Amino acid sequence: MVDAARQPLIEIKAFTEVEKVEGFVGNFKVTLREKAKYVRADRCNGCNACSLACPVEVPNYFEMNLSSRKAAYVPMSQSVPLIYSIDMDACIHCYKCVEACGSLQAIDFSMEDKVTEEDIGAIVVATGFSHFDPTPMTEYGYGRFPNVITAMEMERLNNSAGPTRGSLIRPSDNVKPKRLAIINCVGSRDKRYIQSCSNFCCMYAIKNALLLKQAIPDIDISIYYIDIRTPSKGYEEFYDRAREAGIKFIQGRPAEITEDPETHQLFIKSEDITLGRVVEHEYDMVMLNQAAIPQPDQDHMSSVLNVAQSPGGWFMEYHPKLRPMDSPTDGIFFAGACQGPKDIPASVAQGSAAAARASRILHSDTWQIEPTVAVVWPDRCVSAKGQSCGICDRACPYGAINYEKGFAAEVVTAKCHGCGACVGECPHDAVTQLHFTDAQVLSQIRTLLAVEPEKKILAFRCQWCSYGGADLAGTSHFEYSANERGLRVMCSARMDADLIFEAFRLGAGAILYSGCHPQDCHYITGQVAGAKRASRLEKMFERMGMSPGRFRTEWISAAEGDKYARVINEMQATLDEIPMEDLKAEIERLKPEMEKRLTKLNEIPGVEEALIQVDFIVNEMLGKAVNA
Amino acid sequence: MNQTISESLAERVKAIPGGEMLMMCFSCGTCTSKCMIQEKLEPNYNPRRLIREAVFNYKEEAFADETTWLCSACDLCYPACPQKIHISGVITAIKQLAVAEGKQNPYQTAKVDEATCVACGLCVSVCPYEAISLVGKKVAFRGLIPVASVDPGKCMACGMCSAACRSTSIRLTEDFNDQQVIQDLWSWLERETI
Repeated sequence: MVDAARQPLIEIKAFTEVEKVEGFVGNFKVTLREKAKYVRADRCNGCNACSLACPVEVPNYFEMNLSSRKAAYVPMSQSVPLIYSIDMDACIHCYKCVEACGSLQAIDFSMEDKVTEEDIGAIVVATGFSHFDPTPMTEYGYGRFPNVITAMEMERLNNSAGPTRGSLIRPSDNVKPKRLAIINCVGSRDKRYIQSCSNFCCMYAIKNALLLKQAIPDIDISIYYIDIRTPSKGYEEFYDRAREAGIKFIQGRPAEITEDPETHQLFIKSEDITLGRVVEHEYDMVMLNQAAIPQPDQDHMSSVLNVAQSPGGWFMEYHPKLRPMDSPTDGIFFAGACQGPKDIPASVAQGSAAAARASRILHSDTWQIEPTVAVVWPDRCVSAKGQSCGICDRACPYGAINYEKGFAAEVVTAKCHGCGACVGECPHDAVTQLHFTDAQVLSQIRTLLAVEPEKKILAFRCQWCSYGGADLAGTSHFEYSANERGLRVMCSARMDADLIFEAFRLGAGAILYSGCHPQDCHYITGQVAGAKRASRLEKMFERMGMSPGRFRTEWISAAEGDKYARVINEMQATLDEIPMEDLKAEIERLKPEMEKRLTKLNEIPGVEEALIQVDFIVNEMLGKAVNA
Repeated sequence: MNQTISESLAERVKAIPGGEMLMMCFSCGTCTSKCMIQEKLEPNYNPRRLIREAVFNYKEEAFADETTWLCSACDLCYPACPQKIHISGVITAIKQLAVAEGKQNPYQTAKVDEATCVACGLCVSVCPYEAISLVGKKVAFRGLIPVASVDPGKCMACGMCSAACRSTSIRLTEDFNDQQVIQDLWSWLERETI
């Protein structure tokens, strides 16, 4: 922090809140509220005189409320920048601090919050994590038993700058503990509270145990655990060191802590799984290693930054394996635990990666994005005609569409990732996707179904998963029906219902609607939109009386070549079971139903011309005479 | 029938309502250390071990395990389980399978005196384990009549039915029959008043 403060190109804006983020990659407009400190930064020299003079004492949040601080304070002695502030909620306006400050005249009670707007090129979010409060877990008695403390309280008690100057004492009688227990997974790996594993607590428990063992060699420390997870380099060796140092590990999640109300001794009852029987041990002090949870204001930040959250509340990354430091919005990056609980090496690695990503933006004059972006035809958008709609805005996983009633929806090109969800969802065909325009996709459908369409299986594949799956089926030489005709779009969300209707109108034998598995979607929630539409279509076709199996939905990953081949073969088998006359009759019967839903298709700009050309070329190729 | 028997124990437990979550157990031992039966009655009682026996298809061990037969479904463990497994549901499912395979409950269950049962259904409505039902049965000297019938795979021997029955036709045997309980009560009252 001190290094950062000394670096002339880095400006630290302490005590400042981000209020609003607008714009896009390279061109963010960020509204910042610098809160009033009531101490002027240009005059304060951090001498501590105001704090000494201040008569008000309040609990010190930084010390986990184990000690007190004054109303004129710095959060901690190593604060950067070292500028005092006055806590207006606690201040009694005695002005003793003004007197103490004397000729420096740094204290200024007339200061107000300063709101500024800044042009920002890239944003790195490093807001960290918070701790699970174990009070609701009544079985562990936190809050009732004075000697049950949390990991953060232990951290302060064991810190040489902490309230006890680094000597560990138990809160009930200020005596050094002889027997200490550490309980892991308090709140984490628990379906009642935090489902996930908090990643670093096993190592944290071992580290704390070793530190305490060094400070107090005769202390007896036991760690209760469900599983010890020490997966990184050197971690298992560290675990071994703890065993060598005499720290005991007990596999078994304690069910209950009880207390002797007079001596405040604690008793932990758990099953010792390796012994296979229930054991009860006595301890002087118990540390609860609580779960890591998202910051309490993470939801608020998520809406300010327009960045989605994963289940569990952490910020959602662009891709969990390939782009863990990128947010789905270009130009916003994550560093550290705000994206998910992680330890120091992982946070440093992610932070460095995020900084490198950000500097790539700062050093370029232009920014390349996928060319498959969405475009709105303002004259077709019903919002411009005063109707309420906003379907495209809700469909967009990236918040790239600005919708306001009375104006045509607008795509922020720099934010668009080109999934086509808005195109698929728009009921008025007012949005299209470059390189996957309706005209282009419809032309492909026409061509693929030009000859004997009733024998064909038309497979809509998403670019990232099912297309890859089909590709793998080919390169792995998995045989599947030669009647399959593949058609690539970027995401299952782009597979517009109109395209399906048109394919059936043209007499397609069967249609496969395929994309990524829900958790693998490359466009955050694209697959969800696609899946919803597919199930709607399935029901609709069932009501129409279409033979079951002619429209099929399958989620196939790029690694599932065998599944792709199997699905196509199964569809072929289903098709073979329907006698050809019946199939043809069914296609004819359903044609008017499809046409009913396609009356506006030719109104889409470019579609009519494209289809005339396609028909011309197809007929030419089929060697048929064409009358102009 | 053969097919159902060849299925693994875990699959069969999962198929019974209450036993679905069986495979989610990560063996943390919270249930065992929470259990009152383990603490007060049977030190070898261990729901975690029973679930493991079921998962790994140690059928005979699971059916012979005291845990299968002693659980009172008090559900102290259920709210404590971090995986939200309804442990007493799993145990009841295992017990039902054991009874279906002809295993005898080594502990006592409620017994119906068919000679006096009038099939009023009071016991059916009070049983918290839904272990009692009315069935048509041929009883000596009474012919084919409806009588209460106890499912030993579900009965937890709590005695609610015995307390509710108005014709003393359903009861726990020996130590817990009405006379015994009244006698215990009187001796206790006399002792306390002195």
